[in-house]
Amino acid sequence: MASHGMPKGSGVQPTTDQDRRKELQKIKDYKALVDSVNSQIQEHQYTAETLELTSKLLRLNPEYYTIWNHRRHTMQHLFKGPGSSERSKEQDHDAIVNLISDDLAFLLPLLRKFPKCYWIWNYRLWLLKVSTRLLPAAEARKFWQQELVLAGKMLSLDSRNFHGWGYRRTVVQALESTELSTQEPISRMAEQEFEYTTQMINSNLSNFSAWHTRSKLIPRLLDERGADNEARRRFLDEELELIQRALWAGSEDQSLWFYHQYLMSNFDPKCARNSMVPDLTTDERSKYIAQEFDRVHEMLDGAEDCKWIYQSLIHLSKLHKSFTAEWPAKADLVRQWIDELLRLDPLRAGRWNDLNSDLENW
Amino acid sequence: MIDFVLSCQHESGGFGAAPGHDAHMLYTVSAVQILATIDAVAELDLRGKAGQEQVGKYIAGLQNRETGSFAGDEWGETDTRFLFGAFNALSLLHLLSLIDVPKAVAHVQACANFDGGYGVSPGAESHAGQIYTCVGALAIAGRLDLVDRDRLGGWLSERQLPNGGLNGRPEKLEDVCYSWWVMSSLVMIDRLRWIDGDKLVQFILRCQDPERGGIADRPGDMVDVFHTVFGIAGLSLLSFPGLEAVDPIYCMPKAITSRILSK
Repeated sequence: MASHGMPKGSGVQPTTDQDRRKELQKIKDYKALVDSVNSQIQEHQYTAETLELTSKLLRLNPEYYTIWNHRRHTMQHLFKGPGSSERSKEQDHDAIVNLISDDLAFLLPLLRKFPKCYWIWNYRLWLLKVSTRLLPAAEARKFWQQELVLAGKMLSLDSRNFHGWGYRRTVVQALESTELSTQEPISRMAEQEFEYTTQMINSNLSNFSAWHTRSKLIPRLLDERGADNEARRRFLDEELELIQRALWAGSEDQSLWFYHQYLMSNFDPKCARNSMVPDLTTDERSKYIAQEFDRVHEMLDGAEDCKWIYQSLIHLSKLHKSFTAEWPAKADLVRQWIDELLRLDPLRAGRWNDLNSDLENW
Repeated sequence: MIDFVLSCQHESGGFGAAPGHDAHMLYTVSAVQILATIDAVAELDLRGKAGQEQVGKYIAGLQNRETGSFAGDEWGETDTRFLFGAFNALSLLHLLSLIDVPKAVAHVQACANFDGGYGVSPGAESHAGQIYTCVGALAIAGRLDLVDRDRLGGWLSERQLPNGGLNGRPEKLEDVCYSWWVMSSLVMIDRLRWIDGDKLVQFILRCQDPERGGIADRPGDMVDVFHTVFGIAGLSLLSFPGLEAVDPIYCMPKAITSRILSK
């Protein structure tokens, strides 16, 4: 459908007769394969042979979503086994495990080749959900557990793959569910996943996906740790240290500034409900903001052309003023910083002009 | 064209991508949009395999009544794209009453992130495409009051890169299709002035194939219909001369959505 990142001319018409004949033969073979899959399904031939035909077709065209559905129907029949079942429960069970294992293995090279194809990821999740439904928790759990490894591999190949992160989140959710629990209490994975984001950030600071995931895990992590107010303050301090170190290393990196902004929202009384430390006093809030203000201000030295610093200073000033009615530094500086933004970031001049006219309402 | 669209319909009311393909939310929404654009929605009742009401029921049947979210088809993939699709098509059919709108709105809110944006599902990273679907759904529901406009507008405005083009997430490459996803969202929250429209126009124009026509994702790449649509729709949002005004919610000509929605 859409050609992303394909250079012009990369899909050029075949030039020689031989090329053209080859191309036509390919199309003919493809169409014949589509016809044979469709006729098998029309005749309700939900057999191993049909499954193989869908494999062949999906390797050529994984975007053909109806074929994935045909494959699901076929699998559902194969799961049931031969009509007059002479198999024992265990045999049934083994047969299902084998079918699912084989199918997961079939999908692997496809995912590697088409890591952004929604239909493959969907099908794989469907298959895993079937394992939860049809198998004892311990068996199904093994399948899901392997998927965590797969998600890790996919993300090591492309650390921003949207599907990879989403898939990982779904797998973790499943592993934490009651359906798949084999022990009491149910395993909680926020700690492990938080550690994973730390690893990802350490290998590349500019990973917005990892910072985002971190923001989602923190509230859960603190709850699961049963963190008291003291522990919450320590945790927040550590995050502030982490982001400060990161900002010194990459002050032009917007991922870091967005995360910094998120941490600052912990000091906003309007966001108190979602704060890591919900019981901060007004005095503490203003001290924290003053501390961050000083730290960010210090970064200006030698980085006078970094627009993010001015943005952050303005944001912190506004936040401070919003609940203390005082400026953390001289008020007239804010106008100077807005001028710097207009100079450094003309693309977003409209935004900075709005900020300027809004200043009187602070 | 009407014949082709109707030939993709199933008795359930849903549409597939092509004749013989299974019914799916995405293609059902496209079918409704196409029929609405050419003023042929009534054809559903005259000679469709199922009438308007049944099309609405197919879509409504994909809502999870507990979470408010929507699946793409019977196999259960859930994504805010499908929720928006449902709002889009059902509002064009005047059948929004078939679904639980407040629950769906609550689901969109559950997909909100600290940066003001929205993801495919609760917990997912903000992505300009998903932001369009979530803000679009809120716009149709009349609930744009739930959006943190300054925060979201700030994040969206940072999608513009020095070459004028827009990306969909931090540190990603620019792509013409984000001219639509980002800009339509900015228009809906009244922050379009927060990016440089002239530079974006220049970028979109550079993505044209001057010989064979059409627009690509980036200058020098192969053109396709997808990027041509979003390039032109983007230019329309920027009031490029000679283009009809486009509706930022529906990605259809404004004259058409006004006609249908005022009924």
